[in-house]
Amino acid sequence: MKFLPYLLKNVARHKLRNLFTMLSIGVSLFLVTLLYAYLDFQEELGKQSADYRRLVVTHVEGLTALMPLAVVDRIRALPGVKAAMPLSWFGGLYQDDKLPFAQFATDPMQCMDVWTEYRLPPEQLLAWQQDRTGCVVGNVIAEKRGWKLGDRIVLKGTIYDCNLELTVRGIYTGPDSGDPEMLWFHYSYFDELLKARRARAAGRIGTVFVKVADEANLADVARRIDERFASSDTPLRAMTEQAFVQSFTEMVGNVQAFIQNTALAVVFALVCVAANAMAMSLRERVREVAVLKAIGFQRRTILGLVLGEAMLIALAGGIIGVGSVKLLTTFVDPSVAGIPGLTRFYVPWNSAFTGLLLAVGVGLASGVIPAVRAANLSVVDGLRRVV
Amino acid sequence: MHSLPAQPVVQLRHVSKEYYRDKLRIPVLADTSLDIPAGEFVAVMGPSGSGKSTLLNLCAGLDRPTTGTIVVAGQDLGELSESQLTRWRSEHLGFIFQLYNLMPVLTAFENVELPLLLTNLSRRERARHVETALRIVGLEDRMHHYPRQLSGGQEQRVAIARAIVTDPVLLLADEPTGNLDAVAAVEVLDLLAQLNAEFGKTIVMVTHDPRAARRAHRILHLEKGRFEEADIEAIERGRSSGGDGERRRSPRAPSAEIAG
Repeated sequence: MKFLPYLLKNVARHKLRNLFTMLSIGVSLFLVTLLYAYLDFQEELGKQSADYRRLVVTHVEGLTALMPLAVVDRIRALPGVKAAMPLSWFGGLYQDDKLPFAQFATDPMQCMDVWTEYRLPPEQLLAWQQDRTGCVVGNVIAEKRGWKLGDRIVLKGTIYDCNLELTVRGIYTGPDSGDPEMLWFHYSYFDELLKARRARAAGRIGTVFVKVADEANLADVARRIDERFASSDTPLRAMTEQAFVQSFTEMVGNVQAFIQNTALAVVFALVCVAANAMAMSLRERVREVAVLKAIGFQRRTILGLVLGEAMLIALAGGIIGVGSVKLLTTFVDPSVAGIPGLTRFYVPWNSAFTGLLLAVGVGLASGVIPAVRAANLSVVDGLRRVV
Repeated sequence: MHSLPAQPVVQLRHVSKEYYRDKLRIPVLADTSLDIPAGEFVAVMGPSGSGKSTLLNLCAGLDRPTTGTIVVAGQDLGELSESQLTRWRSEHLGFIFQLYNLMPVLTAFENVELPLLLTNLSRRERARHVETALRIVGLEDRMHHYPRQLSGGQEQRVAIARAIVTDPVLLLADEPTGNLDAVAAVEVLDLLAQLNAEFGKTIVMVTHDPRAARRAHRILHLEKGRFEEADIEAIERGRSSGGDGERRRSPRAPSAEIAG
């Protein structure tokens, strides 16, 4: 600690150069943290969903293959199943929207039994159940768009050749980990529109969400569903909601590997930039290092001083980058990013700490070569050097 | 302050030093022996390349002799590892450089404090030592000034304060007035003389300046890697006549060894 003032003064020695180094580290770590946070965020969502004892059932071929609606009743009849509901993504556009928000066709009679973490006043639930064109929206999206009970919402189909004309019958609330920006409507209404247009998707659904009676039975019920439909025309696959969230992320490709490789490339570039700045700084201080050694500074002390300086610069950059991304995702609506389905996003603390750790790592790696060279500097040669 | 050891502070025995540039052998010191008793103020003169700085480097343990032994403050430097030498230097030696070599980002106080950061002294104790050192060199009112805010003479006095703050046995000064004007040079030499007389510091000073050398108890002349007694008058005469006075040594003192 007694060397800290000296370190800080050395960091402040070339203000502009070190500021640029810090900014380059900051901007790069901003991006890397954002990418890693996406992975961590998905993982956290999956972990949270584990508490709700739910299974998600899809066609064995994946989300793109649809299942007949009848499977819902058959699943519901299986032992250990408390409730089950269809859930089909509509993907319609509202007014001038460029990208759809989350809209799902489902069963209002089972919905609140499956998604137990959400709250809907009983009279609103009843009103929704009784209105075939009724819908329920999350409190955050309702506030953003100024929707109130009784308002009319028209969603223009982009995947399906039909438009939905809905009336807001309920506004749900949920926990922080929930998604407060969804819209749920009657599957029966949706199906009716599809049948009227003789659409191939009529009578078919994308997923079934299943509430299991007992957590211990989660795996048993999943196995039972798989076995029940294994020999049918529509073989199904049941998985925990956590696994479903994960598989949904992987649909985009091997996101994890992509992010990791990108991060690796960015970090390597960062190390080069920071090492160059550090080496340049040390080259200008050869005499000073020689003097320090002459007056008794040990090799390891010199090594520590140079590494400490490199880490301070990198950490400052890390705080700029990671702090910015944390603040940005806390206070800015993620839907402005224009990524379909990304209605909520934040940087988990473990991602932020990983970002800072990465900054320290960059500092360490960038400082190693200049530090070793400084530590091994011959005092006689250093004192002779005219810089 | 340290009590002075009975034996010579610096003992060189049959020391030689050679350098190699590519495959070229460059002898710098040849079979040199020297004793410097405690409390002595010695000036070392000689032409460029005569081995003056090499001698200082060897006494400081910054460089190793090719042959021979060097004992400083009772310690045979050849017995110490690099790490031990570095620690030994911090405890026993004070350096004064021609170009002051202060850290530009540190104040006078912080520059003087640097060697003390290697000790276990508390912050308050360090401050007390630094203030004492700066008071000795007459710069207690400039302790929060940066080197760029000081004159050359003041910078050199800060460097002297840094050299004495650990209370070393031996001060090694490499042309301490070489970069100063006449007035500042006199101030620095007065200070060195005071450190020698009042605090009993043993001082080895390399200089090209005969006036500076006159302040020493003894003047050694290095010529082609060997010591000779210097004839200061001859050197000064040489200077005033425009020649290289240091090359003119007294014919009365041809000895290669001045030990004992």
